[in-house]
Amino acid sequence: MEKDLADFAVNYAQKLGASYAEARLESSKSNSFLLKNGNLDSSGFSDISGLGIRLICNKGLGFVSTNKLEKTKIKSLIKIAIKSAKSSEHREEVNLAEDNVNKKEYKVKQKIKLANVDPSEKIQLLLDAEKAIKATGIKTPGRYFTLSDHTTTEYLVNSEGTQVLATVPKVAFMYFLTIKEGNQSVQRYWQYGNAGGFEFVKSWNISELLVNEVKACYNNLKNGRKLKKEKLDVIAAPQVVGIMVHESVGHPYEADRILGREGAQAGESFVSQDMIGQKIGSDVVTVVDDPTVENSYGFYLYDNEGVKAKRKYLMKNGKINDFLHNRQTAALMGIKSNGSSRSVDYDKESIVRMSNTFMLPSKKKEEELIEDIKRGVYIKNFMEWNIDDKRVNQKYVGAEAYLIENGQLGMPVKSPIMEVSTFDLYKAVDAVANNTEFHAGNCGKGEPMQAIPVWFGGPSIRLRGLWIK
Amino acid sequence: MKQEAKLILKNLIKSGADDVAIQGQASTASQIKYSNSKINATKNWELDLINIFVAKDNCLVSTTLRDLSEDSAKKTALKLMKFVKAAPKNESYRGIAKGPFKYPDIKQMYDPEIENLGEGAIKIVENALNQAEQLDAKRAAGVFESFFSKSFVLTSNNVDVEQKETGVYFSVRGFASKNASGHMVAVSRLLNKFDYLDAVKKAVQIAKDSLNPKPVESGKYDILFDHLPFANLLDYFGNAMSVFTVEAGLSCLEGKIGKNVANEKFDLSDNGTLTNGFNSTKFDEEGVPTKNTKIIDKGVLKTYLHNTSSAIRYDTTTTANAGIVSPSAHNLVLKAGNSSKEQMLSSLKKGIYITNIWYTRFQNYHTGDFSTIPRDGAFLVEDGKIVKPVKDIRITDNLINIMKSVSRLGKKRKQIFGWEVETPVITPMAIVNDVNVTKSEK
Repeated sequence: MEKDLADFAVNYAQKLGASYAEARLESSKSNSFLLKNGNLDSSGFSDISGLGIRLICNKGLGFVSTNKLEKTKIKSLIKIAIKSAKSSEHREEVNLAEDNVNKKEYKVKQKIKLANVDPSEKIQLLLDAEKAIKATGIKTPGRYFTLSDHTTTEYLVNSEGTQVLATVPKVAFMYFLTIKEGNQSVQRYWQYGNAGGFEFVKSWNISELLVNEVKACYNNLKNGRKLKKEKLDVIAAPQVVGIMVHESVGHPYEADRILGREGAQAGESFVSQDMIGQKIGSDVVTVVDDPTVENSYGFYLYDNEGVKAKRKYLMKNGKINDFLHNRQTAALMGIKSNGSSRSVDYDKESIVRMSNTFMLPSKKKEEELIEDIKRGVYIKNFMEWNIDDKRVNQKYVGAEAYLIENGQLGMPVKSPIMEVSTFDLYKAVDAVANNTEFHAGNCGKGEPMQAIPVWFGGPSIRLRGLWIK
Repeated sequence: MKQEAKLILKNLIKSGADDVAIQGQASTASQIKYSNSKINATKNWELDLINIFVAKDNCLVSTTLRDLSEDSAKKTALKLMKFVKAAPKNESYRGIAKGPFKYPDIKQMYDPEIENLGEGAIKIVENALNQAEQLDAKRAAGVFESFFSKSFVLTSNNVDVEQKETGVYFSVRGFASKNASGHMVAVSRLLNKFDYLDAVKKAVQIAKDSLNPKPVESGKYDILFDHLPFANLLDYFGNAMSVFTVEAGLSCLEGKIGKNVANEKFDLSDNGTLTNGFNSTKFDEEGVPTKNTKIIDKGVLKTYLHNTSSAIRYDTTTTANAGIVSPSAHNLVLKAGNSSKEQMLSSLKKGIYITNIWYTRFQNYHTGDFSTIPRDGAFLVEDGKIVKPVKDIRITDNLINIMKSVSRLGKKRKQIFGWEVETPVITPMAIVNDVNVTKSEK
């Protein structure tokens, strides 16, 4: 990696008048495999390097990127960035909150190095899963899987002296299944992801998890009943809790949304700056965002502005407690950044993002939550979900779900629908279990779109008296 | 760059590849992002890349190359052949197209004024922000983007073709209050056909009209979809037309060739050759000349979107929509109707006029069961008159049901592209009857 090019870019930008400059040099190697109905439709690799430069000149923000790693090219782009950064009276004045100068290097270790695993071994895992599904005898006409790995080395340098060199390998698996019975069908999609080596791909037991998924979907399709609309207690299992806290705690607590900067894209937020301390959920609800969870899909130790990562308590005992910040939003709110600035690639501006967002557990077992329900529904996972752009009205439609009667799980329930406002949702939580799980996703935000790896999760929770349709 | 690509092609053929398709692109693009009526950032991107597809003995491999040095090209060719050896045979692969071809002359794909726009970009955003302020918007947010690119396709089957393109895209969301907003986009290949100020006018007007929105009862409503939300739904419908999504279980159109999938008023085409079409292109990823393909004729599904390989399997001809892995639409074009917006509104007895939607998600792609959330101004209409702006609603329905229930199409069409609509869609407004509207319940 030619780190001196990034150093050169920062120095050159300052020489041309930038009051702040930051360069991010990235080298990324990836492999990906796509198996569709038993056919390897795509198998490939890429090896990508590039440089992104962000600078402030006359209080205006400019960003440029190139994959031509040559000094003459970098110079010409910086000239464009300087010129365009200072050329409008309509420009927002950009200030960055003060932060420490960090000089760090870190790497995520791989027990089984991705580079040492032959493509044929990766492909074989998918073919084995295909075979295992067929062996169930369950009609599964749609079988679509992707397996990928990316190893990214990033060198970040800024004009304040920060230099961070990080190498993070990540692995990901996605499946999309269609199961049929007669003229009915049911579908399930899910994703797995970790930071680390091939050992995590092995730990997912892809064949086993797909067989379990196919069997559960088939059971729901064959034996499940649709409930009539009624008010029920609900056990939301970790996958469902994960998407809830991602959508209606993580996103609305992003400070750039609160300040309107994503107004035309991912939207704004029901949360305003003066709502810190406001009670929005029950006492048992505490939600954090924490990039430092080892081997997590949203892992980093320093963000893309070089700020040290830490756990943020977004909702603490039901109260709005903190927002996600980069240095710009922190400056606007008169505080320090909490290290939430991320970019998906060298050629994207880093913006405020979640990392691993999850509800904290208690000591109770999930069974204890269930046994205290007279009539309710247990929603293990979901398929359809969405939420409005201020993050108030959300919907989760269960995939694998069961009726609860007198504290016992019973028959499968087809597509139970929770359509509920954020204000009612978190107040309805009266108990939290101890069975924390983390799940992987690619969160979308920004323009151009930056689908960034995250984890979301938590333990099972009990919600009292929600309308289930 | 083409020289390097030719070298790679030669090396791969020499190494025993059966089919090679190389797609190259050298592009420059810029974006100005603004919110709260202030410019937040200016961004400039330069990117040169080569995508390579190789097939040998029905084993398929692809890669993207950004380091275009001779050394990198050689290493890549070697690695591709190593990957090919690891890959099992793809029994469904039938090859790439055999050239050479004659290509259509597509009008309005390149404008030197856009290639050399420079500081003109800032002026466009300043004009837009001034216009929003004059129209009394409290604030506006969005982006302006421009691009210039040169691209080519080279294949082992006698394809060697190139083109140059430009484009401009503008997105504006106007706010009259925190809870009253309107959104519109403008796209064009030529600067003199780029009506971004009209987009500002529309976005701000919707915002002002939607002040103090009120809740509304859930139930069945006839919905008047403005251009933006109907394009969004058609984009999802277009995705369902790709043979890849059909086979992957991600389409509600599986097994529906020759069947009614929309109202008889519904004529939908994919036109890769469209004049000033934002995604018009002379050739697809395997170098086949693009064309205008009727996909839905009077409500009947005529074809899926194909590449050469899938077309052979389905005993038809390619629609020139490669994606070698996954075919996709170029520009979706819905035939206009003959109603004005006023006529459409006045025909609604109990309806909702929706100006934008977002976050469309499917419970079952195969059946088409989905929901989507109206965003920005939405208005209750009773006996042909707008009664009040409404909020907090969701459309929970079925995509085929929606398309079959289209009862009226507008006479004025717009080209829509943007954050939520990834394929350019040229569509009129549409009335859809008996749409299921739901909301959060306490």
